Amino acid sequence: MRPLYRFVVISISFTFLLPAGCQKTPPPPLTEVAAVKASSIPAKSDAAAWNAAPEFVAKLILQDLVEPRLMTASTPEVRVRAIRTDREIAFRLEWEDATRNDLADPGNFCDACAIQLPQKFEPTVPAPQMGEAGKTVEITYWNAGWQAKVEGRGDAITDIYPNATVDHYPFDAKSLEKGSPQQQEMAKRYAPARALGNAMAGPRDTPVQDLIADGPGTITPAAANGSKGSGQRTAKGWAVVLSRRLPEGIAAAANPQIAFAVWDGAKEEVGAKKMRTAWINFNVKDQP
Amino acid sequence: MARVYNWQIRREMSYWYPENRPQKQFAAVFDINKCIACQTCTLACKTTWTSGKGQEYMLWNNVESKPYGCYPLAWDLKLLKQLGPQQWNGGGYEGRTIFEAAPAGQRVLGWRPDDHDFSYPNVGEDDCAGKIENGTNLHFPHLTWFFYLARICNHCTYPACLASCPRGSIYKRPEDGIVLVDQGRCRGYRECTQGCPYKKVFFNPLTGTSEKCIACYPKFENKLQQQCFLNCIGKIRMAGYISQPENAIPENPIDYLVHVRKVALPLFPQFGLEPNVYYIPPIHAPDSFLRQMFGPGAAAAIETYRKAPDDPDLAGLLSLFGCSEQVMPRWKRENDTIIGAEENGAEIVRVPLREPVYIREAFDKKYNVARVNCP
Repeated sequence: MRPLYRFVVISISFTFLLPAGCQKTPPPPLTEVAAVKASSIPAKSDAAAWNAAPEFVAKLILQDLVEPRLMTASTPEVRVRAIRTDREIAFRLEWEDATRNDLADPGNFCDACAIQLPQKFEPTVPAPQMGEAGKTVEITYWNAGWQAKVEGRGDAITDIYPNATVDHYPFDAKSLEKGSPQQQEMAKRYAPARALGNAMAGPRDTPVQDLIADGPGTITPAAANGSKGSGQRTAKGWAVVLSRRLPEGIAAAANPQIAFAVWDGAKEEVGAKKMRTAWINFNVKDQP
Repeated sequence: MARVYNWQIRREMSYWYPENRPQKQFAAVFDINKCIACQTCTLACKTTWTSGKGQEYMLWNNVESKPYGCYPLAWDLKLLKQLGPQQWNGGGYEGRTIFEAAPAGQRVLGWRPDDHDFSYPNVGEDDCAGKIENGTNLHFPHLTWFFYLARICNHCTYPACLASCPRGSIYKRPEDGIVLVDQGRCRGYRECTQGCPYKKVFFNPLTGTSEKCIACYPKFENKLQQQCFLNCIGKIRMAGYISQPENAIPENPIDYLVHVRKVALPLFPQFGLEPNVYYIPPIHAPDSFLRQMFGPGAAAAIETYRKAPDDPDLAGLLSLFGCSEQVMPRWKRENDTIIGAEENGAEIVRVPLREPVYIREAFDKKYNVARVNCP
């Protein structure tokens, strides 16, 4: 190296080193989702209690294992904090999303997120994409469209298309007393999914659904795990709190795992077309 | 993907599931030449099945004017463009089906209509294919053309909606081949609305599930024809069952028209779904258009149909359309009488080969008064 170049290199090196010596060393990135113990679960995503929980930045990867696959990466990461009590566990999921997508219609999809846990904590975990036969996973799923309904969006076509007009519905006939069992029975005839008790079909009092799966394509509503949740728009995207009962056996499990998924409605992500994580170490031991 | 046989394109093709034909397959024949686009079928379906919330835009049955009419917008053109030019060779199809042309990560080649695509239910109505010059007057044959295409779900042998659904929420009934969405299982992913090339699955935004034509199965199970068939004032439709070509039964009206006389053809057979609604093509539209829409048999079908006045069997069977609410799995001609029958031969209805014509003089000499057509 010629002398002039040597001087320039040394100068640049000092330029970077000097300020670094004055800063605090950043903490090493977490290698696990760690739930801190608290006396209660915060219901809101902006509660101060979340600051006590360490933030884990979960890198999201394409769901490209089964058709229909997501071919283009969208949401890069989801930031996760976890708090637990003796009975419940809650997660705050935050991710960047430029658009609020909370209305599902023929061509539009809703933003959503989910957490996934093995139903049983065994030495080998289920397949990370929705579990596998005999190795069930439990999923807690939040949907922005359901959130909008819980927050008051109505159940009429004019709630979606304000200028729509409808002449008549058979179940609004004058001969049927509004709200009567006969009237409700008639309305069900024209909403077959609702008549069959499909939880997708509402009416909804929660934006969250408990699900189980034994592999891709098998997702099914689960017996309630006491899941609750609420999502709020932030300056850059979504902050969603999801809580459920503490999974049985998790505290004693040797190496519990958890996974997350995020759907960006603007990118037509739905169902299997999603950004997801692999299994992530999940520490629910009492934190100091 | 499995390898299955599709007789409409005369070759094996790739499909998501192995070949599993139903015990019987619901099928229908629509005579396009008789349709006047009165939309009575559309209303019959609408008032029976889709009067609920979230179903406002759904038309499980619609009638559109071809070449420009479409519901949803450009449902056929968009897919044809996606698929690109393909080739028939004689009666066999050498091009790619929508299953074989599926892009990476997808099960089927398709596109998903949005709410704008459903905003113009009768766009292109009565628009003809050519320009009407100033001074043009009535001329036979017509100087330009259009025709009405009545459409329902084709209850395909290889449904793309069924293949597209990642959770198996769509199924084909083994007893009659009717394709249904399980409303208890559907989670509204809309893969089916993207995959169905005929765009006959509709997303209900208020229940969050997809819904489609059910071939009026509560009626069909009771040997009754569907609402859109029953209410068709042009009597263009006949419902029944279709056999495989090698097992065609001439006494079966659908088999006779599709397999024996080859006068009724599937809609876009090149897509590869083996659709089970068959159309008698319009006699006045150009062959190139009909060949693209109904396959290479279009010209021969029209030639056969044009000779129907001198063909008592064909004319007779066509006169049986719309003459009974009951499904007629069998038919026969006895001289100038056509009989629709049950599978065991029990008679359902009989009609004359040609309706008798009575000419009423315009002036009633007895009462010394001009007759009018109003009762």
